[in-house]
Amino acid sequence: MKISLNWLRDYVALDASTDEISRAITFLGFEVEQVIRTGAPLLSQVVVGEVLVRDKHPNADKLSVCQVDIGPAGGVKTIVCGAQNYQVGDRVPVALPGAVLPGNFVIKLSKIRGQSSDGMMCSAKELGVAEDASGLLILAGRPALGTPINDVLPASDTVFDIEITPNRPDCLSHLGIARELAAWFKLELVYPQEKFRGDIEGAPHPELLRGVSVLSPEDCPLYSAHIIKGVKIGPSPEWLQRRLSAVGLRPINNVVDVGNYVMLETGQPLHAFDARKLGGNQIIVRRATDGEKLVTLDGKERTLTSRMLVIADAEKPVVIAGIMGGENSGVSADTTDLVLECAIFKRQTIRWTSKRLSLTSDSCYRYERGVDPHSALEAAYRAVDLILETAGGTVVGPACQVGGDVPWKREIVVTHDYICEKLGFDIPAAEMSAALESLELNIVREEATESRGPAWTVAIPSWRDDLDRPIDLVEEVLRLHGTDKIPAAVVSSPGLIGDDDPVVLFNQRVTDYLVGHDFHECVNYTLRSAKEISTWVSQTAAVELALANPFVDDQSHLRPTLTMGLLESLKLNQSRGVAVSRLCETGRVFMERNGQNFECAAVGFIIADPVGERSWLKREPADFYTVKKHVAALAAAAGIDLGRQPLVPVSGPYYGWQEGQSAAAGEMAHGWTARFGLLSLAMAKSLGIEGKVYGGVFAILPERITAETTRRRYADFSLLPAALRDLALVVDAGVHADEVKKTLAKITRAAVGNAFTLESVETFDVYQGKGLPEGKKSLAFSLVFRSIDRTLTDDEVNAVFQKIQNEVTQSTTWQIRK
Amino acid sequence: MQDTLTALVAKAQTDLATLKSRPEFEAAKARLVGPNGELTALMKQMGTVPKEQRPAMGKLINETKTRLQELLDGALRTIEAGELQAQLGPAVDPTLPSPDAGPGTYHPLTLVREEMCRILRKVGFTVADGPEVETEYYCFDALNTPADHPARDAQDTFYFPETAHFGNVSKKTPGEKYLLRTHTSSVQIRTMLKGSPPIRIVSPGRTYRRDTTDATHSANFHQLECLYVDKNVTVRDLKALLDYIFASLLGKETKTRFRPHYFGYTEPSFEVDLSAKHLPKVKKEWIEIGGCGMVDPVVFAGVGYDPEVWSGYAFGMGLERLAMLLYGIDDIRYFYQNDLRFLKQFA
Repeated sequence: MKISLNWLRDYVALDASTDEISRAITFLGFEVEQVIRTGAPLLSQVVVGEVLVRDKHPNADKLSVCQVDIGPAGGVKTIVCGAQNYQVGDRVPVALPGAVLPGNFVIKLSKIRGQSSDGMMCSAKELGVAEDASGLLILAGRPALGTPINDVLPASDTVFDIEITPNRPDCLSHLGIARELAAWFKLELVYPQEKFRGDIEGAPHPELLRGVSVLSPEDCPLYSAHIIKGVKIGPSPEWLQRRLSAVGLRPINNVVDVGNYVMLETGQPLHAFDARKLGGNQIIVRRATDGEKLVTLDGKERTLTSRMLVIADAEKPVVIAGIMGGENSGVSADTTDLVLECAIFKRQTIRWTSKRLSLTSDSCYRYERGVDPHSALEAAYRAVDLILETAGGTVVGPACQVGGDVPWKREIVVTHDYICEKLGFDIPAAEMSAALESLELNIVREEATESRGPAWTVAIPSWRDDLDRPIDLVEEVLRLHGTDKIPAAVVSSPGLIGDDDPVVLFNQRVTDYLVGHDFHECVNYTLRSAKEISTWVSQTAAVELALANPFVDDQSHLRPTLTMGLLESLKLNQSRGVAVSRLCETGRVFMERNGQNFECAAVGFIIADPVGERSWLKREPADFYTVKKHVAALAAAAGIDLGRQPLVPVSGPYYGWQEGQSAAAGEMAHGWTARFGLLSLAMAKSLGIEGKVYGGVFAILPERITAETTRRRYADFSLLPAALRDLALVVDAGVHADEVKKTLAKITRAAVGNAFTLESVETFDVYQGKGLPEGKKSLAFSLVFRSIDRTLTDDEVNAVFQKIQNEVTQSTTWQIRK
Repeated sequence: MQDTLTALVAKAQTDLATLKSRPEFEAAKARLVGPNGELTALMKQMGTVPKEQRPAMGKLINETKTRLQELLDGALRTIEAGELQAQLGPAVDPTLPSPDAGPGTYHPLTLVREEMCRILRKVGFTVADGPEVETEYYCFDALNTPADHPARDAQDTFYFPETAHFGNVSKKTPGEKYLLRTHTSSVQIRTMLKGSPPIRIVSPGRTYRRDTTDATHSANFHQLECLYVDKNVTVRDLKALLDYIFASLLGKETKTRFRPHYFGYTEPSFEVDLSAKHLPKVKKEWIEIGGCGMVDPVVFAGVGYDPEVWSGYAFGMGLERLAMLLYGIDDIRYFYQNDLRFLKQFA
């Protein structure tokens, strides 16, 4: 809200500097967004002059020597001037010797290139009136010669553009801000004194207004109408126009301007009708009917609904209550009789209507935040005063007021001790009570207590609906004490109370792992496009993960996987010619299962062919088994041992993985999933990505992440030499190595029995091709045997090895490859 | 005989010096000192030496034998050294770059978040977490943000359709709508409901506002909030925490100041400014960094804490904003583009 300093001075004698006032507003709790200076500063020895003669300077091309008449202020002066924008006959500001222009620029008699000059003709910038420095300020309206310039130019003013917090609608007014500043600077606040106090002298004029009926009192707790007969519509007086212009409002006519002025002064919106235009001479406050229409003052036709409140006459709506008047009933140049509305409307009703119609106004803004019903009539009286003063007329009957009869009383009891306890430092009781009183939070009772300070019963004024508990008064005291004076202290820190959340620890562990393996951590948006999700994930996900009200089309769905974002980052780097291979990300993903979505903690990474990166030494590229290792490590960070989980090949393009080149483990039914391998070549291609991209993602329900709880136990191991045997098996090409390995280990353990132990079985060779039948492959395993207490002899190991081979031959379809 | 021995040593010296491999060495060794070697042959001739000369000759033969062994050892050492040398390639050029990728880098938002968490852990805060999909209760109602509050507008908040169901995000009442949390304050509510005071948590996380993306706004962004609940927590304690945080983060010369403000869930409420002249690209004397206040009694009552017994403070700030300040980054979108040239600057 724009607040004029000159205007504030009507109510409080502020003599502090602009900076001090700005600071005061800031520390009272309102943000000063901008300080705007308008008008001219006080300038002595600057007067109106007229250019009589303009001759070229004999010694300078760009200068002129002028004869300038300043009339009674000193006759005709010779002035050298460099400006180009004026003509003989123009009236301009003339600064005479002794004048001090902004920037402490003192005007003296001088010689310019050999030509004496008796002063200076000025631009708007030189006078500090405006930023225009392109030429002389040509004065419009031919003001009298010799007139002091301040009588011609608008007076200086400082306008503060202030953001008012939603809890302080009382400060959406000059009086409200003046009240705060008076309290801060310990000055007296002077309220406007209305001459009109509601007494009506003239006889009732039912032909102007027969009465007001409020059909929806819950939406309109107060409605008052004053009738003013015989007004003359015209421009407002200059002081009024200047006030409105300073705070950014365009003056319209005396009646409309008074309405705006009083709203900006008191915060109470007002509305004036042309009495002739009220059909049936009635005002009816009612809900609109569905589909009812009104053309508002901005020229637009509005279609109303039955949740909206209107002010209507006997025939039609004339105002969308509290928001905007209609074209059909407003004040115009030929209006002679007015009905002045001063009303209180329910905040929620105004807000809903405003949102629904996408229509707001200064009046609406105030009603939405709350207008004080208990000082509303003061504003009406003030407006009547000013209308009578600026537009003439007389107030006539009938007096119309509906509602507004609920009295206001609120008291809060608070003790000095309570305030000190909440603050954590002491403020003297006298300072506290003075602070409260200065905000018109009057102390109606002060009582001694058993502790140090008194207890106060504080009467809360009607415009401070935001105060209703002792804690609210703590803030008031602190505001006036100054929040910049809170004393320093050390943090008391009683050690850790709990443990970090398992999700936090998981994210930290996996990020440390991946960054430690040369990945660059990325952060991508959570919201993705519908098309991407239906193409690369599923149609179901595209439905289930949709937002109700996306802001832009390509951010309409929750992400079900991190790969999309990582590929996008890869693409961005590739397209910018930045060589990149390893990217990773942690964050939330959303997985759908059986019509329910689950929010999961997730980690993902990609390893791309480093396109564009040339190196003097070639390295082996990453493959499926590289990413398998990383995924296993990430799963382990969440307490999942991937080695003990069945791995299945990914089928279909689900989540964008390449069939036959990638694998999946886990499922949402168990609270986690992992996918890894080659990302769909088609997807990469559709994104314009060059080269192959391997990757992995791991997602887990936050509640499923387990911290290591059981302490590991040490297992004894043998210090004696091992015995090694290799066994190559010919199996069907489609059989998975792990399956063979598990069976072989089982056979081997059975063969070894308790004699010694099988320490490990590892696949060390896979062969397919020449020398083997079609559709077969050879898997070679290395078996390591050891005993805890003796060195194994060849004979005993050979015997066991023979047993294993016999068993393999008998109980499996595999052939032993010799 | 003596001459023969001398000649043998001289010849051995010359021959052994030319040996290149172990087989050559073994052959030479056999030729000299093997059972059929030259020295052995000479020793066999001892019988023909006159008796009186035998001691002298024996001594001479032993000396020759020792000398030959020395020569053989030397030759073997040379061969072994050669073998080790053969395992090496040419000398490296230490100025060539490693062809391996690396090092990895942490995202600047992670770095700032972890730094804040580290600072806060030192004074007893633990790091809490909560869902990004929230319900109206946890995001608004419990934080004293009434149903008609502008913050709840569908204009500013992302909502989910009424048919949406999130299996692991609990609702307080069945009729509530799901939404994307607009602040991490919802974690405060979940933490307070789940635990009991005293509580001292920091909750960093991702938040969402329905907003245009530009240099300073992003549809999703990150916040970090602190909540402390205990007996007798004061405004002064809150100020002390903020002074501590920013002095730790930005240096001892950093000052903070409070300006009164309004938030529904704290009373009194403040905006926090930093003295920031020493930060890169900052020209203003004070810059706004976050909001804070004393937890409103209504919020405590809502989670079943007696406001007469418990008091507390909360502080929240934007992580992007902090990172932008710390590093002098002037466009928030850079955080989400992941250009490597950006990411590598903060490692």
